[in-house]
Amino acid sequence: MPYQIDNRPADARESLYFPEIFRAIGLVVTTFWRNAFFSRDPNTDILERDRTRNRVTTLQYPEEKQPYPAGYRGLHRLVPRPDGSPRCVACYMCATACPAQCIFIEAAEVEGDPIEKYPKQFVIDELRCVVCGFCVEACPKDAIRMDTGEHPPPTYEREGQIYDIRRLLRGAPVSYEKDPWLVRPSKLTDAAQKANRAAARPYGTAGSDEYSQTPGFSVRELTAEARARGEGGK
Amino acid sequence: MKRFVGMWLVIGAVLVGLVGLFYAFYALAALGAKGAVALGFPGFYGSAIVNAVTLMAVTLMTVAALLTVAERKWSAAMQDRIGANRILVGGKFALGGVPYLLADALKMLTKEAIYPVARSRFLFEAAPVLAFAPTFALFAVVPVGPEVRALGQTVGMWVANPDAGLLWVFALAGISVYGTTLAGWASNSRVGMLGAVRASAQMISYEVSLGMSLVGVMIAYRTVSLQQMAIAQGADVLGPIPALGLLLQPLGFLVFFTSSFAETKRAPFDLPEGESEIVGYFLEYSGMKFGLLFLAEFVEVVILAAVTTAVFLGGWHPIFFEGWLKANLDPMLFGAVCAAAFLGKLILLTWIQLVIRWLLPRFRYDQIQGLCWKLLLPGAILNVFVTGAAVLVDPSLQVLAWIGVAEIIAIFGITLAVSKPKAAHGGHDHGDAHGHAAHAAGH
Repeated sequence: MPYQIDNRPADARESLYFPEIFRAIGLVVTTFWRNAFFSRDPNTDILERDRTRNRVTTLQYPEEKQPYPAGYRGLHRLVPRPDGSPRCVACYMCATACPAQCIFIEAAEVEGDPIEKYPKQFVIDELRCVVCGFCVEACPKDAIRMDTGEHPPPTYEREGQIYDIRRLLRGAPVSYEKDPWLVRPSKLTDAAQKANRAAARPYGTAGSDEYSQTPGFSVRELTAEARARGEGGK
Repeated sequence: MKRFVGMWLVIGAVLVGLVGLFYAFYALAALGAKGAVALGFPGFYGSAIVNAVTLMAVTLMTVAALLTVAERKWSAAMQDRIGANRILVGGKFALGGVPYLLADALKMLTKEAIYPVARSRFLFEAAPVLAFAPTFALFAVVPVGPEVRALGQTVGMWVANPDAGLLWVFALAGISVYGTTLAGWASNSRVGMLGAVRASAQMISYEVSLGMSLVGVMIAYRTVSLQQMAIAQGADVLGPIPALGLLLQPLGFLVFFTSSFAETKRAPFDLPEGESEIVGYFLEYSGMKFGLLFLAEFVEVVILAAVTTAVFLGGWHPIFFEGWLKANLDPMLFGAVCAAAFLGKLILLTWIQLVIRWLLPRFRYDQIQGLCWKLLLPGAILNVFVTGAAVLVDPSLQVLAWIGVAEIIAIFGITLAVSKPKAAHGGHDHGDAHGHAAHAAGH
């Protein structure tokens, strides 16, 4: 029961209407005075707002956004290497794991390299995506992340929700110490690297998971450490 | 803190701007009077025509139109919201929501007008005008400023000065019921008709207490002319306190304010347009015809505030420092200050009306009629007798003023005497049984 109503009959004073109305006017005038003459605390965390004077709880949405919790799964991004090309090696693990089948990858071979592949096309249909995060879990190269903290922005056409590699490849580059390009230098020319870096758009970090962003974080090393401690099989 | 200072600066700027505006209006009225004299007519012909434009077409309509914006912003402040602020001029300045006025006007004017097939053609077209025109014409007798010498002419800030000022108010307030009734009837819709019937029943009921509440004022000031009343309110009674209608007739003020609130057909008296049950007498109207019915309501609010100011709040008297102002200012500037004081009071009263409108939920229909016939009308009649006796005993209004002071103290006392809710220790069953017993005993 949220609250109890005192359901007694009105006494003589209350059935006059006016005295109670005057009191209520006082209440509304106080509220008006507070809200009209004192400025609003623009803290986006509404519960933390200073509401001693101005009591407005409005959040001016496009300008002010509520902070998302850590680990919030936002819009995907393809993680770049330090030279600006994607970390992705076009292994199709994410496309295979995807329950909504919204990822399309076209692989191509890196010229002059007998093993390495790269994604010639990497397309995510954000309208089909169910935001489950399985692609991020499946990726062996930490090449796809959902740490942007953004929604897919609304568009007028369906085509606008189909993100290709030019829109997905953005954010801070990530490099681990066992990454091959740290051993053999990038094949891209300096100019191409520079252009790649300039093209990479920044992204909000409000909702990103700190743990997954830590540079130097390596699942393989963690496994090795666990093995050294005698945990896990083999 | 910045906002606090800013708001006071805005209020001060508005008042100073009003003084400047009315200074210009006095000058225009004087020019009009000069022109009329040059053409061989009495001077007040010219000033009346100029005032009809400056006061009614400019001031009244601007205030009424700004009130549509104010309703959004003020109601927001009363309900812990921000209010309309998404139209940004220059991509940056919300300007307090005022640009919404233009957007509204554009919408109303360009909207498709849809007509019910079975309408009564002539009356359907005439009803918005019939609703708007009488309320609009009410403003003609309201004295906005005093009579002063300006540019060699004696001009006043009013359109007309009939001896029967208040009777004109009653007559036109009575006529305005036709607009709403015909709007509902001519649109040939059951629901619109229901709204119209409710409107006519409500307005005719409240006209009785409206008229009766002003009889006390007529007795006290011995006139029905609004101009004479405004002048009479400047005289001192009870030492330096002027003989305001509010002081002499607190009960009359309450009854008049409530009744005229009912005449505006706004919440809590918005039965004629109860959106949740019947949409209202203007259900079949669209486009600017609806806009006119809608605007008529806001004009009514302003007019009601204007008449209340003129009769009860001292009219154009600035009340504070009036003697000093009159002695030291140029007569035209003094007139402008007085007119600005009038408009300031008017805006304050419209604000109070909006407070009440956003405070109270809609009455039930029997409550509306009960309030009118069982509470307001007896109160008004009692007020007439008390005022008559007091004026008979003491024509200098001293006794009436003391009675008014006693009434104000009594109203304050009753308001502050909140009965404490009884502690419900005995459990709810007991409390309910007690309540039922008391209820039954009451019957």
